[in-house]
Amino acid sequence: MTPRQFEARYEPSWVELERGLTALDSGKGADKKPRKLKAGEFPTDSTPPPGAARVAQLYRQCCEHLALARERAYPPHLVDRLEALTARAHQRIYRRHDFGLGALRDLVLYDAPAAVRALRWHLLVATLVFALPILVVGVATWLDPHFVLTIVSAEDVRRYDGMYGPEAGEHLGRTSGDDWHMFGFYIMNNVGLSFQSYAAGLILGVGSLFMAAYNGLNFGALAGFLVSRGDSERFFSFVVTHSAFELTALVLSAAAGLKLGHAVLAPGRLTRTQALMRAARETSPVVFCFFTMLIIAAALEAFWSSAGWIAPGVKYAVGGGCWALVFAYLGLQGRGGDAR
Amino acid sequence: MTLDTTLLAETPEGIAILLRPAGAVPRVLAYGLDLFIRLVVWSVAAALLGGINGVGVGVMLIVLFALEWVYPIAFELLPGAATPGKRILGLQVMMDTGLPITPSAAVTRNLLRVADFAPVAYAFGLLAMLLRSDFKRLGDIVAGTLVVHADKVRLAGALPQAEPLAPRVPLTRAQQVAILHLAGRARRLTAERIDELAALAENALPPANYAPGGASPAPIRPGPRLIAVAQWLMGQR
Repeated sequence: MTPRQFEARYEPSWVELERGLTALDSGKGADKKPRKLKAGEFPTDSTPPPGAARVAQLYRQCCEHLALARERAYPPHLVDRLEALTARAHQRIYRRHDFGLGALRDLVLYDAPAAVRALRWHLLVATLVFALPILVVGVATWLDPHFVLTIVSAEDVRRYDGMYGPEAGEHLGRTSGDDWHMFGFYIMNNVGLSFQSYAAGLILGVGSLFMAAYNGLNFGALAGFLVSRGDSERFFSFVVTHSAFELTALVLSAAAGLKLGHAVLAPGRLTRTQALMRAARETSPVVFCFFTMLIIAAALEAFWSSAGWIAPGVKYAVGGGCWALVFAYLGLQGRGGDAR
Repeated sequence: MTLDTTLLAETPEGIAILLRPAGAVPRVLAYGLDLFIRLVVWSVAAALLGGINGVGVGVMLIVLFALEWVYPIAFELLPGAATPGKRILGLQVMMDTGLPITPSAAVTRNLLRVADFAPVAYAFGLLAMLLRSDFKRLGDIVAGTLVVHADKVRLAGALPQAEPLAPRVPLTRAQQVAILHLAGRARRLTAERIDELAALAENALPPANYAPGGASPAPIRPGPRLIAVAQWLMGQR
């Protein structure tokens, strides 16, 4: 078959496919009833565009034509046309159709906690790297309050003192400002930091470990200093609720980052790139998880934790509930067979 | 070894789709444009909200967060799969299998911009792009995505009309392909250049004063003869 005969014979189906794709893109064409064209009939503006099933059939046909045209070394304009058409149909046909709630529901109910549990060893390491500095520095600062100056600058210590000291007043844990201001600040700051902690894991995991240890040092120094000053109730009643989400998210982001670094360092039987891609796929539900937790933490920290008028006892109770909730969700949710 | 920076992605239907990965320069330019757009949005938001204390500042910070993290992810998941800067430069993000980008890949490649940024000014990302033939930055490698030029380059168009002439000798497949490709580019080249190039194929073309009837008219230049042979190869008799 010569190129001319080939073009003359199959062009109607290519034009039909083009019209079908255009109709699908614009979302029209569903109202008219599509019909199959007779052999050799050339589609015009008046013929209704083909429906989705017909488009899929035409696409497979068009792929066959492209393979033939390439194999027979047909002229470039013909091959180009078929290439452009198949590429467009390919993008259209394999597009995701559900941004929907089904995938989100599965993610929240099963995938996210399961992905977190799959990271248990990385979680253990991240928790230790975060918690040990808190303990060591916390105790050291509690025994000798001057120790805080080796970690935090004097200016920051004065600021913390104003935030949690006796003169903190109605608004705990902040220098100034209003709930909404602080909500925005917490989202910007905390979420950005944990994204960085995750991505920095790519540098052989060192970045995530550094971020976890650094945050642990600061938190330990702050806690130890405030306890030694006798502000422990104000401080702990402030942090207890949102820390359930914030500290967990911090450890999760470091663990997910460690997983990336682990894949680079010890790819096993895969190539480094493949191992990395797999680690990224496996940790992406965890990213969703800590992102959501940080939004919740920011809201709590801005609107609930800082409210000085709520009795510390209430805050401790709610905070304890939150901690139990987070652990129950991550530890138990979605266990016991695939319920999907 | 090929000089072309193209990639072939195979579809489930068994055909290969040609992808043209975009190099560092258009991507840096696209990033610059995006940065400019984000700065404009940010200054408008700051001007509108800056006056309101409290709520205003909070919303301003949320806008800043959204511009940094949500802006690229959201635009890459819309049809067109590109941020406005990439759209202006004709770029598009897709999976390296040629499929449309998935939400989790869009999130991954944009979060890992932090790793690409390290140690300063996207140095790692640029280095990765310059070292790889598919111009992926670290985030692209991990997410399995590719930034490509959305529109194709077309060197050859339809053949010009001509009376067909049979070649002097039977042509191999490679020779047929070369003649069809050159004839397809005839509209983009001057007549003199076509003649010059067609003269290289003189052995395959019919003689200059050949005519089907056996008469011997004025000699024809090599260019038109090559186009005539191309028409013959197309199947015109």
